[in-house]
Amino acid sequence: MNQDLRKRIAEIIYQAKEGHIPSSYSIVDIINHLYTSVLSYDSNNPTWEKRDYFILSKGHGCAALWVVLEKLNLLPERALEQYSQFGGILGGHPDRTKVPFVEASTGSLGHGMPMAVGCALAHKITGNDNKVFCLVGDGECHEGTIWESAHVAANRNLNNLTVIVDWNQSAAQLCPTDDLPAKWRSFGWHTVVFDGHDQTQIEAAFNENDAQAPTVLIAKNVKGKGVSMTEGHGPWHHKIPSKEELEHILEALS
Amino acid sequence: MSNLRQAFADKMLSVGADDPRLVVMVGDISHGILKPFAAEYPQRYYNVGICEPTIVGMAAGIASTGLVPVAHTIAPFLIERSFEQIKLDFAYQQLAGNFITVGGAFDYAQLGCSHHCYNDIALMCQLDNTVVTSPASDYEFSELFSQCYDQGTINYFKLTENPHNVDFTGQVELGKAIVVEQGHDLTLLAVGPQLKQALSAYENLTAQGHSIELIYIHTIKPFDAPTVINSIAKTKAIIVCEELSEHGGVYDVVMRHWASRDKAQFKQLAIKEMIHDYGTYEQLCQVAGLTDKHISDHAITMLENKKA
Repeated sequence: MNQDLRKRIAEIIYQAKEGHIPSSYSIVDIINHLYTSVLSYDSNNPTWEKRDYFILSKGHGCAALWVVLEKLNLLPERALEQYSQFGGILGGHPDRTKVPFVEASTGSLGHGMPMAVGCALAHKITGNDNKVFCLVGDGECHEGTIWESAHVAANRNLNNLTVIVDWNQSAAQLCPTDDLPAKWRSFGWHTVVFDGHDQTQIEAAFNENDAQAPTVLIAKNVKGKGVSMTEGHGPWHHKIPSKEELEHILEALS
Repeated sequence: MSNLRQAFADKMLSVGADDPRLVVMVGDISHGILKPFAAEYPQRYYNVGICEPTIVGMAAGIASTGLVPVAHTIAPFLIERSFEQIKLDFAYQQLAGNFITVGGAFDYAQLGCSHHCYNDIALMCQLDNTVVTSPASDYEFSELFSQCYDQGTINYFKLTENPHNVDFTGQVELGKAIVVEQGHDLTLLAVGPQLKQALSAYENLTAQGHSIELIYIHTIKPFDAPTVINSIAKTKAIIVCEELSEHGGVYDVVMRHWASRDKAQFKQLAIKEMIHDYGTYEQLCQVAGLTDKHISDHAITMLENKKA
Protein backbone atom coordinates (compact mmCIF):
# COMPACT_ATOMS: atom_id res chain seq x y z
CA MET A 1 0.00 0.00 0.00
CA ASN A 2 0.97 3.63 -0.49
CA GLN A 3 3.52 2.66 -3.12
CA ASP A 4 3.52 6.15 -4.61
CA LEU A 5 4.35 7.71 -1.25
CA ARG A 6 7.19 5.23 -0.82
CA LYS A 7 8.52 6.04 -4.27
CA ARG A 8 8.43 9.73 -3.47
CA ILE A 9 10.31 9.13 -0.21
CA ALA A 10 13.06 7.33 -2.08
CA GLU A 11 13.23 10.06 -4.71
CA ILE A 12 13.57 12.97 -2.28
CA ILE A 13 16.13 11.14 -0.16
CA TYR A 14 18.15 10.22 -3.23
CA GLN A 15 17.99 13.80 -4.46
CA ALA A 16 18.93 15.38 -1.13
CA LYS A 17 21.42 12.67 -0.12
CA GLU A 18 19.81 12.70 3.31
CA GLY A 19 17.05 10.79 5.03
CA HIS A 20 15.99 7.57 6.72
CA ILE A 21 14.21 5.37 4.19
CA PRO A 22 13.43 2.33 6.40
CA SER A 23 12.12 4.44 9.30
CA SER A 24 9.92 6.40 6.90
CA TYR A 25 8.59 3.26 5.17
CA SER A 26 7.75 1.85 8.58
CA ILE A 27 5.36 4.69 9.45
CA VAL A 28 4.15 6.14 6.16
CA ASP A 29 0.94 4.09 6.07
CA ILE A 30 -0.04 5.35 9.52
CA ILE A 31 0.85 8.98 8.82
CA ASN A 32 -1.10 8.86 5.58
CA HIS A 33 -4.14 7.52 7.43
CA LEU A 34 -3.82 10.17 10.14
CA TYR A 35 -3.86 13.06 7.70
CA THR A 36 -6.48 11.60 5.34
CA SER A 37 -8.96 10.14 7.84
CA VAL A 38 -8.26 11.06 11.47
CA LEU A 39 -6.92 14.55 12.10
CA SER A 40 -9.15 17.62 12.01
CA TYR A 41 -7.34 20.55 10.42
CA ASP A 42 -7.95 23.53 8.19
CA SER A 43 -5.85 23.29 5.04
CA ASN A 44 -5.79 27.06 4.79
CA ASN A 45 -5.02 27.76 8.44
CA PRO A 46 -2.32 25.59 10.06
CA THR A 47 -2.93 27.22 13.45
CA TRP A 48 -6.73 26.79 13.41
CA GLU A 49 -7.60 26.74 17.10
CA LYS A 50 -9.83 23.68 16.83
CA ARG A 51 -7.25 21.54 15.03
CA ASP A 52 -5.99 18.20 16.25
CA TYR A 53 -2.29 17.98 17.00
CA PHE A 54 0.12 15.45 15.55
CA ILE A 55 3.64 15.25 16.93
CA LEU A 56 6.18 13.04 15.17
CA SER A 57 8.38 12.27 18.13
CA LYS A 58 10.64 9.99 16.09
CA GLY A 59 11.55 12.93 13.92
CA HIS A 60 14.04 11.07 11.73
CA GLY A 61 11.12 9.40 9.96
CA CYS A 62 9.93 12.78 8.70
CA ALA A 63 10.33 11.99 4.99
CA ALA A 64 7.08 10.07 5.45
CA LEU A 65 5.47 13.19 6.86
CA TRP A 66 6.80 15.41 4.10
CA VAL A 67 5.41 13.27 1.27
CA VAL A 68 2.00 13.02 2.93
CA LEU A 69 1.84 16.78 3.49
CA GLU A 70 2.90 17.29 -0.12
CA LYS A 71 0.22 14.94 -1.41
CA LEU A 72 -2.42 16.88 0.50
CA ASN A 73 -1.08 20.26 -0.67
CA LEU A 74 -0.24 21.27 2.88
CA LEU A 75 3.31 22.35 2.10
CA PRO A 76 4.39 25.54 0.37
CA GLU A 77 4.68 24.95 -3.35
CA ARG A 78 7.88 23.16 -4.38
CA ALA A 79 9.10 22.97 -0.79
CA LEU A 80 10.27 19.40 -1.26
CA GLU A 81 12.60 20.45 -4.05
CA GLN A 82 14.76 21.97 -1.33
CA TYR A 83 14.43 19.12 1.15
CA SER A 84 17.51 19.15 3.40
CA GLN A 85 19.09 21.86 1.24
CA PHE A 86 20.27 25.32 2.22
CA GLY A 87 17.38 27.76 2.12
CA GLY A 88 14.74 25.03 2.39
CA ILE A 89 12.25 24.61 5.22
CA LEU A 90 12.18 20.81 5.26
CA GLY A 91 15.08 19.14 6.98
CA GLY A 92 16.05 15.72 8.21
CA HIS A 93 14.00 16.43 11.32
CA PRO A 94 10.86 18.58 11.61
CA ASP A 95 11.13 22.22 12.70
CA ARG A 96 7.90 23.78 13.93
CA THR A 97 9.25 27.28 13.35
CA LYS A 98 9.56 26.61 9.62
CA VAL A 99 6.99 24.09 8.50
CA PRO A 100 3.22 24.62 8.59
CA PHE A 101 1.28 21.81 10.28
CA VAL A 102 4.35 20.73 12.26
CA GLU A 103 3.48 21.06 15.95
CA ALA A 104 6.84 20.14 17.46
CA SER A 105 10.49 20.25 16.48
CA THR A 106 11.87 16.81 17.18
CA GLY A 107 15.07 14.92 16.57
CA SER A 108 16.45 14.13 19.99
CA LEU A 109 14.33 11.13 20.93
CA GLY A 110 12.05 11.24 23.95
CA HIS A 111 11.07 14.88 23.56
CA GLY A 112 7.88 14.76 21.51
CA MET A 113 5.83 12.66 23.86
CA PRO A 114 6.14 14.83 26.99
CA MET A 115 5.21 17.77 24.80
CA ALA A 116 2.18 15.86 23.56
CA VAL A 117 1.19 15.11 27.16
CA GLY A 118 1.47 18.80 28.01
CA CYS A 119 -0.51 19.71 24.92
CA ALA A 120 -3.28 17.25 25.82
CA LEU A 121 -3.31 18.53 29.39
CA ALA A 122 -3.58 22.11 28.12
CA HIS A 123 -6.70 21.23 26.14
CA LYS A 124 -8.20 19.70 29.27
CA ILE A 125 -7.40 22.91 31.16
CA THR A 126 -9.07 25.09 28.57
CA GLY A 127 -11.96 22.67 28.05
CA ASN A 128 -11.36 22.32 24.33
CA ASP A 129 -12.03 19.16 22.35
CA ASN A 130 -8.78 19.09 20.38
CA LYS A 131 -7.17 15.67 20.20
CA VAL A 132 -3.46 15.03 20.38
CA PHE A 133 -1.60 12.26 18.53
CA CYS A 134 2.05 11.39 18.96
CA LEU A 135 4.11 8.80 17.11
CA VAL A 136 7.13 7.33 18.90
CA GLY A 137 9.58 4.62 17.93
CA ASP A 138 10.07 1.39 19.83
CA GLY A 139 13.75 2.21 20.15
CA GLU A 140 12.67 5.61 21.42
CA CYS A 141 10.86 3.77 24.20
CA HIS A 142 14.29 3.23 25.74
CA GLU A 143 14.16 6.90 26.73
CA GLY A 144 13.10 7.50 30.31
CA THR A 145 10.92 10.46 29.39
CA ILE A 146 8.59 8.15 27.46
CA TRP A 147 7.73 6.30 30.65
CA GLU A 148 7.77 9.39 32.85
CA SER A 149 5.22 11.03 30.60
CA ALA A 150 3.23 7.80 30.10
CA HIS A 151 2.88 7.60 33.87
CA VAL A 152 1.74 11.22 34.11
CA ALA A 153 -0.72 10.95 31.20
CA ALA A 154 -2.44 7.89 32.67
CA ASN A 155 -2.69 9.47 36.10
CA ARG A 156 -4.19 12.62 34.58
CA ASN A 157 -6.75 10.57 32.60
CA LEU A 158 -5.74 12.19 29.33
CA ASN A 159 -8.27 10.45 27.13
CA ASN A 160 -7.68 13.08 24.45
CA LEU A 161 -4.20 11.67 23.83
CA THR A 162 -3.29 8.83 21.47
CA VAL A 163 0.27 7.59 21.18
CA ILE A 164 1.28 5.38 18.27
CA VAL A 165 4.32 3.15 18.78
CA ASP A 166 6.23 2.14 15.67
CA TRP A 167 6.93 -1.39 16.96
CA ASN A 168 9.28 -2.47 14.20
CA GLN A 169 11.62 -4.46 16.41
CA SER A 170 14.43 -1.93 16.40
CA ALA A 171 14.49 -2.02 20.20
CA ALA A 172 14.54 -5.81 20.30
CA GLN A 173 17.92 -5.85 18.60
CA LEU A 174 19.38 -4.38 21.76
CA CYS A 175 16.99 -5.52 24.48
CA PRO A 176 15.39 -8.81 23.49
CA THR A 177 12.73 -8.61 26.21
CA ASP A 178 10.30 -6.92 23.87
CA ASP A 179 7.05 -6.73 25.86
CA LEU A 180 5.86 -3.26 24.90
CA PRO A 181 2.11 -4.04 25.03
CA ALA A 182 2.42 -5.38 28.57
CA LYS A 183 4.46 -2.36 29.61
CA TRP A 184 1.93 0.14 28.28
CA ARG A 185 -0.97 -1.78 29.83
CA SER A 186 0.82 -1.82 33.16
CA PHE A 187 1.12 1.96 32.94
CA GLY A 188 -2.66 2.21 32.68
CA TRP A 189 -3.04 2.91 28.98
CA HIS A 190 -5.81 1.56 26.76
CA THR A 191 -3.56 -0.61 24.64
CA VAL A 192 -4.26 -1.80 21.11
CA VAL A 193 -1.92 -3.94 19.01
CA PHE A 194 -2.40 -3.95 15.25
CA ASP A 195 -0.71 -4.39 11.89
CA GLY A 196 0.46 -0.91 10.91
CA HIS A 197 0.60 -1.80 7.23
CA ASP A 198 -2.92 -3.20 6.92
CA GLN A 199 -5.47 -0.53 6.10
CA THR A 200 -8.38 -2.37 7.67
CA GLN A 201 -6.49 -2.87 10.92
CA ILE A 202 -5.23 0.71 10.88
CA GLU A 203 -8.77 2.02 10.58
CA ALA A 204 -9.98 -0.23 13.38
CA ALA A 205 -7.11 0.81 15.64
CA PHE A 206 -7.79 4.50 15.21
CA ASN A 207 -11.42 3.96 16.13
CA GLU A 208 -10.33 2.72 19.54
CA ASN A 209 -10.60 5.00 22.53
CA ASP A 210 -11.27 4.91 26.23
CA ALA A 211 -13.45 7.12 28.39
CA GLN A 212 -10.77 7.56 31.03
CA ALA A 213 -7.37 6.46 29.87
CA PRO A 214 -5.05 7.62 27.12
CA THR A 215 -4.78 5.21 24.21
CA VAL A 216 -1.65 3.63 22.79
CA LEU A 217 -1.75 2.01 19.38
CA ILE A 218 1.16 -0.38 19.08
CA ALA A 219 1.82 -0.92 15.40
CA LYS A 220 3.48 -4.16 14.38
CA ASN A 221 5.45 -2.53 11.62
CA VAL A 222 8.24 -3.65 9.35
CA LYS A 223 11.21 -1.35 9.13
CA GLY A 224 11.75 -0.55 5.46
CA LYS A 225 8.37 -2.05 4.54
CA GLY A 226 7.67 -2.32 0.84
CA VAL A 227 11.06 -3.13 -0.67
CA SER A 228 12.84 -6.30 0.36
CA MET A 229 16.23 -4.64 0.00
CA THR A 230 15.41 -1.99 2.62
CA GLU A 231 13.47 -4.17 5.03
CA GLY A 232 14.87 -5.22 8.39
CA HIS A 233 17.73 -3.85 10.42
CA GLY A 234 20.64 -4.02 8.04
CA PRO A 235 22.71 -1.20 6.59
CA TRP A 236 19.81 0.85 5.25
CA HIS A 237 18.89 2.78 8.41
CA HIS A 238 20.56 5.99 7.22
CA LYS A 239 21.87 4.83 3.86
CA ILE A 240 21.37 6.91 0.72
CA PRO A 241 20.60 4.84 -2.36
CA SER A 242 22.84 4.97 -5.42
CA LYS A 243 21.21 5.65 -8.78
CA GLU A 244 21.02 1.94 -9.45
CA GLU A 245 19.57 1.25 -6.00
CA LEU A 246 16.98 3.99 -6.47
CA GLU A 247 15.92 2.41 -9.75
CA HIS A 248 15.66 -0.94 -7.99
CA ILE A 249 13.50 0.59 -5.22
CA LEU A 250 11.21 2.30 -7.71
CA GLU A 251 10.91 -0.88 -9.75
CA ALA A 252 10.12 -2.94 -6.65
CA LEU A 253 7.36 -0.49 -5.75
CA SER A 254 5.80 -0.56 -9.22
CA MET B 1 9.82 40.80 53.98
CA SER B 2 8.88 37.17 53.38
CA ASN B 3 11.18 34.44 52.16
CA LEU B 4 11.42 34.02 48.44
CA ARG B 5 9.74 30.65 48.22
CA GLN B 6 6.70 32.07 49.97
CA ALA B 7 6.92 35.10 47.69
CA PHE B 8 6.80 32.72 44.73
CA ALA B 9 3.63 31.07 46.07
CA ASP B 10 2.03 34.43 46.81
CA LYS B 11 2.90 35.73 43.36
CA MET B 12 1.38 32.72 41.61
CA LEU B 13 -1.83 33.34 43.53
CA SER B 14 -2.00 37.01 42.64
CA VAL B 15 -0.99 36.65 38.98
CA GLY B 16 -3.18 33.58 38.60
CA ALA B 17 -6.18 35.59 39.72
CA ASP B 18 -5.73 38.05 36.88
CA ASP B 19 -4.36 35.76 34.19
CA PRO B 20 -6.26 32.54 33.45
CA ARG B 21 -3.42 31.41 31.19
CA LEU B 22 -1.04 30.83 34.10
CA VAL B 23 -0.37 27.11 34.76
CA VAL B 24 1.89 26.10 37.67
CA MET B 25 3.73 22.77 37.60
CA VAL B 26 5.97 21.55 40.42
CA GLY B 27 8.23 18.57 40.91
CA ASP B 28 6.89 17.50 44.29
CA ILE B 29 8.20 20.49 46.24
CA SER B 30 6.52 23.63 47.57
CA HIS B 31 3.11 21.95 47.43
CA GLY B 32 2.36 23.06 50.97
CA ILE B 33 2.78 26.76 50.32
CA LEU B 34 1.02 26.42 46.96
CA LYS B 35 -2.14 25.04 48.57
CA PRO B 36 -3.98 28.37 48.23
CA PHE B 37 -3.23 28.44 44.49
CA ALA B 38 -4.16 24.77 44.13
CA ALA B 39 -7.42 25.32 45.99
CA GLU B 40 -8.33 28.38 43.98
CA TYR B 41 -7.25 27.07 40.57
CA PRO B 42 -7.18 23.27 40.67
CA GLN B 43 -7.23 23.06 36.86
CA ARG B 44 -4.07 25.15 36.67
CA TYR B 45 -1.94 23.51 39.35
CA TYR B 46 -0.07 20.25 38.86
CA ASN B 47 2.28 18.49 41.21
CA VAL B 48 3.52 16.43 38.30
CA GLY B 49 5.94 14.28 40.27
CA ILE B 50 9.66 13.75 40.33
CA CYS B 51 10.26 13.72 36.59
CA GLU B 52 11.84 17.05 35.81
CA PRO B 53 12.64 16.57 32.09
CA THR B 54 9.04 15.53 31.54
CA ILE B 55 7.79 18.56 33.46
CA VAL B 56 9.78 20.79 31.12
CA GLY B 57 8.58 18.95 28.02
CA MET B 58 4.99 19.15 29.23
CA ALA B 59 5.44 22.84 29.94
CA ALA B 60 6.50 23.30 26.32
CA GLY B 61 3.38 21.48 25.15
CA ILE B 62 1.29 23.71 27.37
CA ALA B 63 3.05 26.79 26.01
CA SER B 64 2.41 25.65 22.43
CA THR B 65 -1.33 26.05 23.01
CA GLY B 66 -1.02 29.64 24.21
CA LEU B 67 -1.01 29.09 27.97
CA VAL B 68 1.77 30.43 30.21
CA PRO B 69 3.61 27.67 32.07
CA VAL B 70 5.57 27.99 35.29
CA ALA B 71 7.84 25.05 36.15
CA HIS B 72 9.25 24.90 39.65
CA THR B 73 11.60 22.69 41.61
CA ILE B 74 15.16 22.59 42.96
CA ALA B 75 17.69 24.28 40.66
CA PRO B 76 19.97 21.38 39.62
CA PHE B 77 17.04 19.16 38.74
CA LEU B 78 15.09 21.72 36.75
CA ILE B 79 17.96 23.39 34.91
CA GLU B 80 20.95 21.05 34.77
CA ARG B 81 19.13 17.71 34.60
CA SER B 82 16.53 19.02 32.17
CA PHE B 83 18.74 21.31 30.14
CA GLU B 84 18.22 19.53 26.85
CA GLN B 85 14.46 19.91 27.29
CA ILE B 86 14.86 23.63 27.94
CA LYS B 87 17.21 23.92 24.97
CA LEU B 88 15.15 21.94 22.45
CA ASP B 89 11.58 22.14 23.71
CA PHE B 90 11.68 25.85 24.47
CA ALA B 91 14.61 27.67 22.83
CA TYR B 92 14.77 25.70 19.57
CA GLN B 93 11.00 25.69 19.23
CA GLN B 94 10.70 29.38 20.08
CA LEU B 95 8.28 28.75 22.92
CA ALA B 96 8.00 30.85 26.05
CA GLY B 97 7.77 29.88 29.70
CA ASN B 98 8.95 30.44 33.23
CA PHE B 99 11.41 28.43 35.30
CA ILE B 100 11.58 29.19 39.00
CA THR B 101 14.03 27.32 41.19
CA VAL B 102 14.98 27.19 44.82
CA GLY B 103 18.22 26.09 46.41
CA GLY B 104 20.41 28.90 45.14
CA ALA B 105 23.99 27.77 44.69
CA PHE B 106 24.31 25.86 47.96
CA ASP B 107 21.33 26.80 50.12
CA TYR B 108 20.90 23.09 50.80
CA ALA B 109 24.21 23.33 52.59
CA GLN B 110 23.77 20.11 54.56
CA LEU B 111 22.71 17.97 51.62
CA GLY B 112 25.80 17.87 49.47
CA CYS B 113 26.65 18.54 45.84
CA SER B 114 23.62 16.76 44.39
CA HIS B 115 21.51 19.69 45.58
CA HIS B 116 24.00 22.42 44.71
CA CYS B 117 23.75 24.39 41.47
CA TYR B 118 26.56 26.63 40.27
CA ASN B 119 26.08 26.43 36.50
CA ASP B 120 22.41 27.18 35.93
CA ILE B 121 22.88 30.87 35.21
CA ALA B 122 25.61 30.19 32.65
CA LEU B 123 23.55 27.48 30.99
CA MET B 124 20.42 29.58 30.72
CA CYS B 125 22.37 32.53 29.35
CA GLN B 126 23.57 30.34 26.47
CA LEU B 127 20.10 29.94 25.02
CA ASP B 128 18.22 32.17 22.60
CA ASN B 129 15.47 34.39 23.95
CA THR B 130 16.24 33.88 27.63
CA VAL B 131 15.86 36.28 30.53
CA VAL B 132 18.04 35.24 33.46
CA THR B 133 17.58 36.62 36.96
CA SER B 134 18.81 36.00 40.47
CA PRO B 135 16.41 37.91 42.72
CA ALA B 136 17.38 38.02 46.37
CA SER B 137 14.33 39.63 47.93
CA ASP B 138 10.62 38.94 47.75
CA TYR B 139 10.01 42.35 46.25
CA GLU B 140 12.57 41.81 43.50
CA PHE B 141 11.07 38.47 42.51
CA SER B 142 7.58 39.93 42.41
CA GLU B 143 8.65 42.88 40.30
CA LEU B 144 10.81 40.90 37.89
CA PHE B 145 8.16 38.23 37.39
CA SER B 146 5.53 40.83 36.61
CA GLN B 147 7.81 42.50 34.09
CA CYS B 148 8.53 39.44 31.96
CA TYR B 149 6.44 36.35 32.73
CA ASP B 150 4.21 36.66 29.65
CA GLN B 151 6.44 38.62 27.31
CA GLY B 152 7.31 35.74 24.99
CA THR B 153 10.66 35.01 26.57
CA ILE B 154 12.12 32.04 28.44
CA ASN B 155 12.46 33.38 31.94
CA TYR B 156 14.66 31.99 34.68
CA PHE B 157 14.33 33.04 38.32
CA LYS B 158 17.01 31.57 40.59
CA LEU B 159 15.58 32.08 44.07
CA THR B 160 17.67 32.09 47.21
CA GLU B 161 16.94 31.29 50.82
CA ASN B 162 19.44 33.95 51.85
CA PRO B 163 17.89 37.29 50.94
CA HIS B 164 19.94 40.45 51.25
CA ASN B 165 17.19 42.25 53.23
CA VAL B 166 17.70 45.54 51.40
CA ASP B 167 14.61 47.50 50.49
CA PHE B 168 14.76 48.37 46.79
CA THR B 169 11.15 49.48 46.51
CA GLY B 170 10.64 51.38 43.28
CA GLN B 171 14.14 50.60 41.98
CA VAL B 172 13.77 47.14 40.43
CA GLU B 173 13.68 47.16 36.66
CA LEU B 174 14.38 44.08 34.56
CA GLY B 175 17.82 44.33 32.98
CA LYS B 176 18.91 47.30 35.07
CA ALA B 177 21.63 47.24 37.70
CA ILE B 178 21.13 49.13 40.94
CA VAL B 179 23.88 51.48 42.08
CA VAL B 180 23.54 50.96 45.81
CA GLU B 181 26.37 53.25 46.80
CA GLN B 182 28.52 55.58 44.74
CA GLY B 183 32.30 55.75 45.02
CA HIS B 184 35.45 56.24 42.97
CA ASP B 185 38.22 53.93 44.24
CA LEU B 186 36.86 50.47 43.53
CA THR B 187 33.65 48.82 42.27
CA LEU B 188 32.02 45.96 44.13
CA LEU B 189 29.61 44.11 41.86
CA ALA B 190 27.33 41.80 43.82
CA VAL B 191 25.02 39.24 42.23
CA GLY B 192 21.86 38.12 44.05
CA PRO B 193 22.46 36.92 47.63
CA GLN B 194 26.09 38.08 47.59
CA LEU B 195 24.82 41.60 48.16
CA LYS B 196 24.64 40.87 51.89
CA GLN B 197 28.36 40.05 52.06
CA ALA B 198 29.25 42.89 49.73
CA LEU B 199 27.36 45.39 51.88
CA SER B 200 29.24 44.22 54.95
CA ALA B 201 32.52 44.55 53.07
CA TYR B 202 31.45 47.98 51.84
CA GLU B 203 30.90 49.17 55.41
CA ASN B 204 34.27 47.81 56.48
CA LEU B 205 36.09 49.43 53.56
CA THR B 206 34.40 52.80 53.87
CA ALA B 207 35.16 52.79 57.59
CA GLN B 208 38.80 52.59 56.55
CA GLY B 209 38.36 55.65 54.38
CA HIS B 210 38.00 54.03 50.97
CA SER B 211 35.49 55.24 48.41
CA ILE B 212 33.65 52.16 47.16
CA GLU B 213 30.99 51.94 44.46
CA LEU B 214 28.55 49.13 45.20
CA ILE B 215 26.46 47.82 42.31
CA TYR B 216 23.80 45.18 42.63
CA ILE B 217 22.85 42.80 39.81
CA HIS B 218 19.52 40.96 39.88
CA THR B 219 19.29 40.47 36.11
CA ILE B 220 22.19 38.73 34.42
CA LYS B 221 20.56 38.62 30.97
CA PRO B 222 19.91 41.17 29.61
CA PHE B 223 22.95 42.64 31.32
CA ASP B 224 23.19 46.30 32.21
CA ALA B 225 26.60 46.78 30.65
CA PRO B 226 26.56 50.60 30.52
CA THR B 227 26.16 50.96 34.30
CA VAL B 228 28.96 48.49 35.01
CA ILE B 229 31.32 49.73 32.31
CA ASN B 230 30.88 53.34 33.39
CA SER B 231 31.70 52.34 36.95
CA ILE B 232 34.88 50.48 35.96
CA ALA B 233 35.91 53.40 33.78
CA LYS B 234 35.67 55.55 36.90
CA THR B 235 37.23 53.25 39.52
CA LYS B 236 39.59 51.19 37.32
CA ALA B 237 39.09 48.27 39.71
CA ILE B 238 36.26 45.82 40.15
CA ILE B 239 35.49 42.76 42.23
CA VAL B 240 32.64 40.56 41.01
CA CYS B 241 31.01 38.57 43.81
CA GLU B 242 28.86 35.71 42.53
CA GLU B 243 27.64 32.45 44.03
CA LEU B 244 28.16 30.77 40.68
CA SER B 245 30.83 28.76 38.94
CA GLU B 246 33.84 30.82 38.00
CA HIS B 247 33.18 29.64 34.44
CA GLY B 248 30.53 31.44 32.45
CA GLY B 249 29.17 33.69 35.17
CA VAL B 250 28.81 37.42 35.58
CA TYR B 251 32.56 38.03 35.65
CA ASP B 252 32.80 36.66 32.10
CA VAL B 253 29.98 38.96 31.02
CA VAL B 254 31.77 41.96 32.51
CA MET B 255 35.04 41.04 30.83
CA ARG B 256 33.34 40.59 27.47
CA HIS B 257 31.87 44.07 27.68
CA TRP B 258 35.11 45.64 28.91
CA ALA B 259 37.29 43.96 26.28
CA SER B 260 39.81 46.23 24.51
CA ARG B 261 39.15 49.14 26.84
CA ASP B 262 41.70 50.75 29.19
CA LYS B 263 43.72 48.86 31.73
CA ALA B 264 41.89 48.09 34.95
CA GLN B 265 42.06 45.58 37.79
CA PHE B 266 39.60 42.70 37.79
CA LYS B 267 38.93 40.10 40.45
CA GLN B 268 36.34 37.36 40.49
CA LEU B 269 35.05 35.78 43.69
CA ALA B 270 33.17 32.69 42.60
CA ILE B 271 32.97 28.94 43.08
CA LYS B 272 36.07 27.22 41.75
CA GLU B 273 35.18 23.58 42.31
CA MET B 274 32.42 21.36 43.69
CA ILE B 275 31.94 21.89 47.41
CA HIS B 276 32.11 18.58 49.25
CA ASP B 277 31.57 20.10 52.70
CA TYR B 278 28.42 20.17 54.82
CA GLY B 279 27.26 22.81 57.26
CA THR B 280 25.53 26.15 57.11
CA TYR B 281 25.20 28.49 54.15
CA GLU B 282 27.67 30.79 55.86
CA GLN B 283 30.18 27.98 56.32
CA LEU B 284 29.99 27.04 52.64
CA CYS B 285 30.46 30.71 51.73
CA GLN B 286 33.64 30.49 53.79
CA VAL B 287 34.78 27.39 51.89
CA ALA B 288 34.02 29.03 48.56
CA GLY B 289 35.79 32.27 49.44
CA LEU B 290 32.59 34.26 49.30
CA THR B 291 32.47 36.05 52.68
CA ASP B 292 32.63 39.74 53.49
CA LYS B 293 36.18 39.22 54.73
CA HIS B 294 37.27 37.65 51.44
CA ILE B 295 35.78 40.62 49.61
CA SER B 296 37.43 43.16 51.93
CA ASP B 297 40.82 41.47 51.77
CA HIS B 298 40.85 41.37 47.97
CA ALA B 299 39.65 44.96 47.85
CA ILE B 300 42.46 46.13 50.11
CA THR B 301 45.00 44.34 47.92
CA MET B 302 43.61 45.93 44.76
CA LEU B 303 43.48 49.36 46.35
CA GLU B 304 47.13 49.04 47.40
CA ASN B 305 48.01 47.93 43.86
CA LYS B 306 46.40 51.09 42.53
CA LYS B 307 48.68 53.20 44.68
CA ALA B 308 51.80 51.28 43.64
